[in-house]
Amino acid sequence: MSLIKTVLTRYVLPTSYRATAARFSSTDAKITTSNDEPVEMDNPYKKERRQCILCKLNITPDYKNYRLLSQFQSPYTGRIYGRHITGLCKSKQELVENEIRKAQNCAYMPYYYKDKVFLKDPKLFDPENPVRAHRF
Amino acid sequence: MPTYELALMLRAMPKPELKTTLTRISHAIFDRGGIIRNIENLGFRPMPYKTTAHGLVHKEANYFVFKIDTPTKAVADLKEEYRRDVDVVRQRVFLAQEPSKNDCTLEEELLPPAYREDVQKMIDVGKTQVNRFTYKFKYNSGLDYYPFQK
Repeated sequence: MSLIKTVLTRYVLPTSYRATAARFSSTDAKITTSNDEPVEMDNPYKKERRQCILCKLNITPDYKNYRLLSQFQSPYTGRIYGRHITGLCKSKQELVENEIRKAQNCAYMPYYYKDKVFLKDPKLFDPENPVRAHRF
Repeated sequence: MPTYELALMLRAMPKPELKTTLTRISHAIFDRGGIIRNIENLGFRPMPYKTTAHGLVHKEANYFVFKIDTPTKAVADLKEEYRRDVDVVRQRVFLAQEPSKNDCTLEEELLPPAYREDVQKMIDVGKTQVNRFTYKFKYNSGLDYYPFQK
């Protein structure tokens, strides 16, 4: 009896009828009834899109916010850390560099050292372990 | 009229004097048809480097930021006026920036070089150039040997 049933549903009934029959059932029922069919879903192993710290927190660097900018400056030489150290995206790194130069020009920030008040600020990155190898 | 940010460093002076200086600075803007959107006082603090202005060495300054709307042609005039002002130690004018809305491209930048768009572009440009490592000069003499002394 069951054999006849399966033959009937497979060959006798047209495919369109089967499709409409399936559409009437709820989504949960569909999964349980057609358990052999592949389920359409996004790649569950897809990694999350990485973002730089300024994009993640939605911060636009500003020359008046020299405390934030001083975190991208070397405490020994006052030089601006490169993109391979800061881990910023290209646009944000360029903005940071421009704003630091503006702030130094406006005498908000020193050129050759980091303000000693900001020396104990939290570190956003480790200059000893760059994302890519140092150029030198 | 575009919005500018006028970063001013004023010399150390008592408060009433500072007040008159600020009014003088603002009136210069109003006289040239400009408006002031905002005045920020960043405080009186030591400068990171000493600055000489009008024959005096300044190591401390009052920091002010004026957000102003002025005609573009008036900016050079204003700067020239403030340069003559003995109370202004240092001044800078910047265009006020709008917060930029661009997506983070860090993911694409962290790809291996062969998958990066800028590297692929460089490779394409390199393919159109003469390869100077494998290029051999052609004499175009029709001979299979060099006819002159080398």
